[in-house]
Amino acid sequence: MSEFNDISPPELIKERGSLHPINHMKDHIMNLLTSFGFEIIDGPEIETEEFNFDMLNIKKSHPARQMHDTFYVNNKTNLLRTHTSPVQIRGMLEKKPPLAFISGGKVYRKDDDATHLPMFHQVEGIYVDEHVSFSQLKELIYQIVHSLFGEDIKLRFRPSYFPFTEPSAEVDILSKEGKWLEILGCGLVNPIVLENCDIDCNKYSGLAFGLGIERIAMLKHGVTDIREFYKSNLDFLNQFK
Amino acid sequence: MKIAYSHLVEHIQDKPTIEQVSERLFQLGHEHEIEGNIFDIEFTPNRGDCLSIKGLLRDLAVFYKIEFNQKIYHEQLAELNIDFENHSKYICPQISFLKLKIDKAPEQYKEYLENYFSDLCINKNNFFTDVSNYLSYETGQPTHCYDANKINNKLVFHELDTDEEFQTLLGKKIKLSGKNAVFSMNKKPINLAGVVGDMQTSCSTQTKTVIVECAYFQPEAIVGQSVKYDIQSEASHKFERGVDHKCQNEVLRRFIQIIREHTKIIDMSIKSYEYIEKSTHKIPVNHHKINQIIGIDISAKDYIDYLTSLGFIISNDLITVPSFRNDIQTQNDLAEEIARIIGYNNISRAKINIPKSHDSNHNAIENKLRFFLLDNGFYEVINPPFVGQSSDQSIKVDNPLDSNRQFLRTNISNSLLDNLLYNERRQKESIKLFEISDIYTANNDMNKKRKLSIIASGRVGLNYEDFSKKINKKYLETLFKKICPNQVFDYKILSRELLDTKLKNEIVSLEIDIDKFSSSILSYKEISKAPLKFNQFNPISDLPSSFKDISYLITDDSKIQSLHELFLNYKNEIIKNIYIFDYYYNQKTQEIKIGFRVIFQSMKKTLTSSEIELIYTDIVNESLKIEGISIPGIQKDL
Repeated sequence: MSEFNDISPPELIKERGSLHPINHMKDHIMNLLTSFGFEIIDGPEIETEEFNFDMLNIKKSHPARQMHDTFYVNNKTNLLRTHTSPVQIRGMLEKKPPLAFISGGKVYRKDDDATHLPMFHQVEGIYVDEHVSFSQLKELIYQIVHSLFGEDIKLRFRPSYFPFTEPSAEVDILSKEGKWLEILGCGLVNPIVLENCDIDCNKYSGLAFGLGIERIAMLKHGVTDIREFYKSNLDFLNQFK
Repeated sequence: MKIAYSHLVEHIQDKPTIEQVSERLFQLGHEHEIEGNIFDIEFTPNRGDCLSIKGLLRDLAVFYKIEFNQKIYHEQLAELNIDFENHSKYICPQISFLKLKIDKAPEQYKEYLENYFSDLCINKNNFFTDVSNYLSYETGQPTHCYDANKINNKLVFHELDTDEEFQTLLGKKIKLSGKNAVFSMNKKPINLAGVVGDMQTSCSTQTKTVIVECAYFQPEAIVGQSVKYDIQSEASHKFERGVDHKCQNEVLRRFIQIIREHTKIIDMSIKSYEYIEKSTHKIPVNHHKINQIIGIDISAKDYIDYLTSLGFIISNDLITVPSFRNDIQTQNDLAEEIARIIGYNNISRAKINIPKSHDSNHNAIENKLRFFLLDNGFYEVINPPFVGQSSDQSIKVDNPLDSNRQFLRTNISNSLLDNLLYNERRQKESIKLFEISDIYTANNDMNKKRKLSIIASGRVGLNYEDFSKKINKKYLETLFKKICPNQVFDYKILSRELLDTKLKNEIVSLEIDIDKFSSSILSYKEISKAPLKFNQFNPISDLPSSFKDISYLITDDSKIQSLHELFLNYKNEIIKNIYIFDYYYNQKTQEIKIGFRVIFQSMKKTLTSSEIELIYTDIVNESLKIEGISIPGIQKDL
């Protein structure tokens, strides 16, 4: 054999594709939560007012129902879910406590600007058992936020309002620039919601939380315009391998 | 809502700084920004009671000693003779009217009234309206002022289904529609209850006799009205969230007091109607329950002290909820009150043990497909479902953002085609995309299918093996044979005929229900992995790119490495990418042909050919310094 037969060609670089950064973030958070014990459940994106609002204690008269600028379909018989919370309702109607569900996916609101899109993604979790307390919720949120942003991140809990949780909280993290940034909402499941799902609220209590995937992905990747995620630009997508 | 720091702190004995108040507001759940000396507070919709100086001070009273004793007029008042009928007592269970005649409007306002307008940069209107606006800011209760001389007939409150035109007191013309709670006179609506009054009967600078209306309206009758008619209304913002149902009389007496402090009142009389008495809400005392909900251990005394500081009255093991707190119904509501006072950030964390669920292997097939496609250079995309074109199975959005987004897509392929063309316009030579999504269609019933869709066109890859291969139907077929050898799929070639493009590359596409894939594909061992870190995004240039190819002839194969390294290390801010697109070893002549493609693109400008030529020449000259290589057609310049 001549030495020329041994020449090695330059490395053949096979280009690999990439997961969409939003789906990657969703998977990442879902995997984290399943490692805590949560079980993944799915639900439809086209929902009824009953599951999207009524069962969640969002009354017709309530300004909160206005806050969700809702897309209706089929001559108002259905709507595009405004949050992933109706999946939790479906889960609670099927299984008795103790239960721990997460669900993630697309949600829709009638918005369109640099920070809001008509379609975005959420991951939500719910845990119902005997004696679930607000201080346990805090522990869980710390674990989630520490896993996502590191143990050194500073957190702040603020009282807030969601019709389906009581007490309710919003959680901020302190950015490198010293600004508090809202990253998730959470609270103890409102006993009215448990009752709506035939769960005895004298025996059981629950905690729930929801995260906006785009918001967290924007923070983690340094993306400032949410619309970048949905241009399907290969120069964008290939940065997330 | 904008509230001036100075208007709060004048009633707080401890005189905290603006930063201290800000911190307390956050602790209480009143998210805000500070602009100068103004708090711009975004109150949560359950806290209608906080939408005033008085209301916010009630909340701050848990931390500070508050002195808020606004003078009210206490003397006996004559009964107003008013011709009023209420046909919708459920919507308006309480209402009071005050008629008041003044000598003349004051030329100057007292300091507190003047400050309200100047500190918050609010325009003045006329004396009575100005007092009404201030009063709403001070007490949280909106009032409406009619010019008494313009009220010459019976006033009727009712729900009216009408399409009449209505001109607001600010001059905006709206067309009423559907059901509206209104005050009418002579069968014409003159006041959109809780939202805005009309122009005809409103006060002007000439008004000397006023009828002030002060009511409680059921939030559900007011909600959505200001959005429906696109009216900015401070009043409806408050009524929607619920005002204090017991304050009407007191507020009108405060109105009198403010007027008295400014001018001489010639005559006044009042009439109050209470049709339905709203009962006070009571919750059993149970501090153990609160400890259990929050996960703390506070004493019964602290529990009572906290609630008392917020205005709750405790007696006989019952907690009476104050009339302004219509958001408090259950023990959980009380728990939030206690937790806010303690401070969410001061509540310690407790161990949590979520029972482990059995591994469900959620979406295993779908995830396997994703990584298989990644291995083969496909990029995952996500598209919104809204489209402008319908098919016979489309679901229509009743209230779309615009006509280009009025239907839900019935396939993913069309979205991917748009994505492909977008990337072709950005001069991408190899485009391979996929998306997995639920697709909803309707015949009679709603139908949901989870689908995988893929699209590809251009070169199979940019490496020297794949560069000259073009993507075609065969390419996709071969690809899927690797994981599902026995399945036949409906590969499609999409026509370019109607597309706005000059390219000729075949576009191949496949759309398939996820449940068509069997679990046998799970045996595929993927190479790609989910990224372990979250890369920082680098801004993308939207300017055109161009390329230069450089092909070398190499006789001394030991020089390949040096040449390759030269390219790998060659950095210039307008070089976007370099790759080997061609490699050929001729055994007979023992010569190697190797081609590099250099892609140029600037973040700042469209590059000129001379700018590109400059870099190109430099690379050529640098590379030709290496012994044993040449570029056919180019003389070595030594």
